[in-house]
Amino acid sequence: MNSLRRLVLDVLKPLEPSIVDLAQVLATLEGVEGVNISIYEIDHLVENAKITIEGPEISYAKVEEIIAENGGAIHSIDEVAAGKLLIEDVTTPQG
Amino acid sequence: MIMNDINTYRHQPRLLFEDMREYSTLAGTGEIARRYLAMNAFDGVLTIIGVLMGNYVGGVQDPEVVINIGLSTSLAMGISGLWGAYLTESAERERELAKLEQATLSSLRQTKIGKASRLAVITVSLVDGFAPFAAAMIVLLPLFFAAAIGNVMVTYLLSLMTALLTLFGLGIFLGKISGRSLIGYGLRTLLAGFVSITLSFLLGGGHGG
Repeated sequence: MNSLRRLVLDVLKPLEPSIVDLAQVLATLEGVEGVNISIYEIDHLVENAKITIEGPEISYAKVEEIIAENGGAIHSIDEVAAGKLLIEDVTTPQG
Repeated sequence: MIMNDINTYRHQPRLLFEDMREYSTLAGTGEIARRYLAMNAFDGVLTIIGVLMGNYVGGVQDPEVVINIGLSTSLAMGISGLWGAYLTESAERERELAKLEQATLSSLRQTKIGKASRLAVITVSLVDGFAPFAAAMIVLLPLFFAAAIGNVMVTYLLSLMTALLTLFGLGIFLGKISGRSLIGYGLRTLLAGFVSITLSFLLGGGHGG
């Protein structure tokens, strides 16, 4: 059963399509309740985006497909939360 | 929205238009196509003015001859536009895509960007071929009714007036794009027609055949 609740991705994408379009398309996916995209580095033709997606049943395959068709490449999966509850990262003495 | 295939489009043609609009925005097709449309329609009209004046000062009295020359010229302009735009536009787009691929370190051919780029090449080529052909055909229109008009000189005159009117219309179109004076642009394009007619007339010794 798919129970992916949060995904935080590091994505390299061309400037166009813009993050406005990308966020809207991602938000229309079934099982997604909200999307946040923030740009932390911008270059001449491309930008690095941190994409945060939350919802009760996120499909990673669909998210990956949409990012790819918009010209983006997932560089890393920085955070994943799955299950019945959304668990936040716990601070430990190690960090 | 995940990219649609032909079967989806067949069942929901609305999606095709939505995707085409999105691709057009992405590739900036509208602006380029508009530029080509005005520029090449302008070319088409002025070329046919040249054909008309050449025939007039050459003393051609048979409208069929003028039509044949005009049609061949229009066709050549259409083919030239289509071919030329396809080659130059695809070369430019390929270069742009390659540059972007180098920056993203991935192939973008199957992405929206790649598809938008290919659609832009086709759209721009069609506009570039169709615009001069259509503009030229409009100007030639009175010649098709030469028999009904009766007098070949009147037919020449009607065709030239149609050409000037088309030029004025193109000027208005450009004025609308720029958001400036419609009449001002119209008069400027009209002037090009008058200059062309006058020079051809003088070239023929200041008289028709």
